[in-house]
Amino acid sequence: MTTFLAYTIVGIATGCIYALTASGLVVTYTTSGIFNFAHGAIGMVMAFTFWELTVKDGWPQWLALIVVLGLFAPLLGYLIDRLLMRNLHGASTSTQIVMTLGLLLLLIGVATVRWNPGEARVLPEFFIGHHIRLFTINVTYHQLTMIAVAVLVAAFLRLLFTRTQIGIAMRAVVDDPELASLTGADPDRVRAVSWALGASLAGLAGILLAPLVSLDIILLTLLVINGYAAAMVGRLKSLPLTFVGGLALGLAETYAIWKLPTGLLNKIRPSLPIIFLYLVLLVLPQAKLRAGRAVSLRRPPRVAGLGESIIGGVALVGVAALIAPHMSRSDLTLAGQGMVFALIMLSLVLLTGYAGQTSLAQMTFVGIGAFAMGKYFGGASLLGILLAAVLAGAIGAVAALPALRLQGLYLALSTLAFAEAMSTMFFKNAAVFGYGGRLAVGRPSVLGVSFHGDHAYFLLITGVFALAGIGVLALRRGKFGRKLVAMKDSPAACATLGIDLTFTKLAVFALSASLAGVAGVFFGGLRGQVGPNDFEMLQSLVLLLLVTISGISSVTGALMGGLTFGLIPRLQQTFKSVRSLTYIGPGLGILGVGRNPYGYTSEFAPLGARIRRRFGRGAEPPAGPAGDGSAASANLEEVDDLVGVAG
Amino acid sequence: MSVLRVEAVEVRFGGVTALGGVDLQADAGRVTGLIGPNGAGKTTLFNVITGLQTPTAGRVYLDEQDVTHKKPHQRARLRVARTFQRLEVFGSLTTRENIMVAAEACQSWSNDNENPKVVTEEIIDRVGLRDVAESPVDALSTGLARLVELGRSMATRPRLLLLDEPGSGLDNNETDGLARILVELAGEGMAVLLVEHDMELVMRVCSEIFVLDFGRLIARGNPTEIQADEAVHAAYLGTEDDAKDTALEQVEEAVL
Repeated sequence: MTTFLAYTIVGIATGCIYALTASGLVVTYTTSGIFNFAHGAIGMVMAFTFWELTVKDGWPQWLALIVVLGLFAPLLGYLIDRLLMRNLHGASTSTQIVMTLGLLLLLIGVATVRWNPGEARVLPEFFIGHHIRLFTINVTYHQLTMIAVAVLVAAFLRLLFTRTQIGIAMRAVVDDPELASLTGADPDRVRAVSWALGASLAGLAGILLAPLVSLDIILLTLLVINGYAAAMVGRLKSLPLTFVGGLALGLAETYAIWKLPTGLLNKIRPSLPIIFLYLVLLVLPQAKLRAGRAVSLRRPPRVAGLGESIIGGVALVGVAALIAPHMSRSDLTLAGQGMVFALIMLSLVLLTGYAGQTSLAQMTFVGIGAFAMGKYFGGASLLGILLAAVLAGAIGAVAALPALRLQGLYLALSTLAFAEAMSTMFFKNAAVFGYGGRLAVGRPSVLGVSFHGDHAYFLLITGVFALAGIGVLALRRGKFGRKLVAMKDSPAACATLGIDLTFTKLAVFALSASLAGVAGVFFGGLRGQVGPNDFEMLQSLVLLLLVTISGISSVTGALMGGLTFGLIPRLQQTFKSVRSLTYIGPGLGILGVGRNPYGYTSEFAPLGARIRRRFGRGAEPPAGPAGDGSAASANLEEVDDLVGVAG
Repeated sequence: MSVLRVEAVEVRFGGVTALGGVDLQADAGRVTGLIGPNGAGKTTLFNVITGLQTPTAGRVYLDEQDVTHKKPHQRARLRVARTFQRLEVFGSLTTRENIMVAAEACQSWSNDNENPKVVTEEIIDRVGLRDVAESPVDALSTGLARLVELGRSMATRPRLLLLDEPGSGLDNNETDGLARILVELAGEGMAVLLVEHDMELVMRVCSEIFVLDFGRLIARGNPTEIQADEAVHAAYLGTEDDAKDTALEQVEEAVL
């Protein structure tokens, strides 16, 4: 009994952190309608800033707390609202999601530049060394501080929401968004305050959390996912329920530590909050359909006809065949990677560009594909490609299940939970990639033709991309494709036409996962082997952002996005001073997407029309060069020139 | 027998009553009008009928079958179609594709043997969208986009058609065309329920008119009776409290 009480207190302390994290998320979501995926990154940056002020510069803790939580965090929150989020009201959910994901990557990137991850840093606990003995275990002052802070924050939020004018205005939004405008509150001001407050709460949670784990950029950023589950319990609306959810999660985790055998515990402990999130998503009530679609003033990219797409595909392979002999081995690998990434992004064109659903787990399906090929076929078999497609598709369907009844944001969240769970429980499991974690994936021979050489393999991947691109376009022109776009543009209208979207959502998710799985086969074949760290969720985010920047609604966008991604390692060599270009580049680039959701490749549409006119109908311009990066940028310049002339 | 019967439907948003016990019916073979000042609850009533809004109280019957608890897509399969006051077109699809999606959907859930392609081309001509068949709908004017929604809703071969201000944004010629189509559709046996601010159009095509004000039914009758009704005049001539009207309108828009 006494042990139970002791664990309960520890559990409450942990739960308080989850509740703190989640409350910040809920405050911003309810007032702005935007789920801030960068919440954890804000907490991370604030924890590092606090470390810098106290440990490095020697400020007293109280002063640093005031400056960080009272000045830096609210200012950052305010700026985010002003510069990024304000333009997003009325944008589609997937645009809102990629925007805050971009912010997340940007903050990670900036933090990496400022605080070199190579150096070890320790943020000490508050009141370090002090603890009280409670029955059989020690409860540190830091843990007690966490409980006290959570209680104070809960009291503060309650006072704010019941006693102050701005708080009442915010609560009006929380209780009933429809009526919020009737209270006469200025919604812009309410939102700015809520972003500032949300950032401060994130900072507070980050500062309290950092001493317990470690001052690690990625770790701190992702830990906030644990808070998501608590926020879901409150359905992103109710603060009291959010606190209840946080406490339940903290207690469940602590009791698991107490009761579960160590072996099993070590396996599932990192995933407990994720499993919790998954369960909560399963029991959430069905989302209500609402009219109110996102309107874009931009013209969507034209869908190429069959003839055009075949010509485009042949041209792409032709250009690749012309360039390949002149490329060095390392360039071939880079270009091949670019094509593989383009293939993965093609799966996102289908899912996000056409159907409007967001997946943050695409690399996970890539991993499953590589695993299927490597584990069961070693790589030399076409059956391996089939297995990769089937396995990734089936697992994709299961991953999407909890979110089928729900809408965009929740699907994104459940794929996020899924990616994290797969990363910790599957890819890092010694049984999967073998001890030491390298699984060999070979290169196939097709119809007696060997594709083992770098040159041939690059052409093979290019050919596969061309075929897949033609296939995706054919799908888009057909009945299923029309239904996908209809689902994206107006689920409410679909329902009033008698369309039940459940199966469509499931089908497109499975299909997209399947395509990513096939890409995984080539991902593995290109590298020769895959390991547990090749399929991280952050990679999926980078992919999603890059293809969004270049144009997520078109095959050309996927091609350009993939080549850009393939090019990043080369750019990184050139710009050594900017660490983490992978994060900063997409993070900055995404900011332009609020302006044009169809990406930069759609800006070339007038050029395409000119070329079509010149050659009569048909003859899509070669979608882009398949060569190495220098060729790609040279061609882009050419295109720019032409557009300049045309304009 | 009425195709649609709405019984004592009530909708509240927080403390605001958007619909307070409304009875209404629409019969096959005629155009029924539903009019009232902004914020009277017309769109909310459409949402209740199509299942996008759950009523606080009351019932909705289609062909005397109680559908109050059916999902939107299930009701649509009972041959109810609608357009939206705030457009819900598939903006990144072309005009032809918009109509085709509906025709294909209808083919998949019904026993109809019609070829969706044929249905689509027939409707494109009928509604007069031939010139813009290949344009993405986001690139069209509001008036044309409304016609696309009309065409799309016709493609599921509805028995009950709910039209939410189809005439706004149309020029005189287009309005004439719309009036002709509505009368034709009714002549083919369809029950059409029309929400419209263009009173001339309403009086021209409707055989019966329901008038809503502040979520309550204040009048019901044929065009001549409605034009002579004092309560209707009062409602339209601004004796109401403007602030409350605006508030209700905001609620309605927010909910949409």
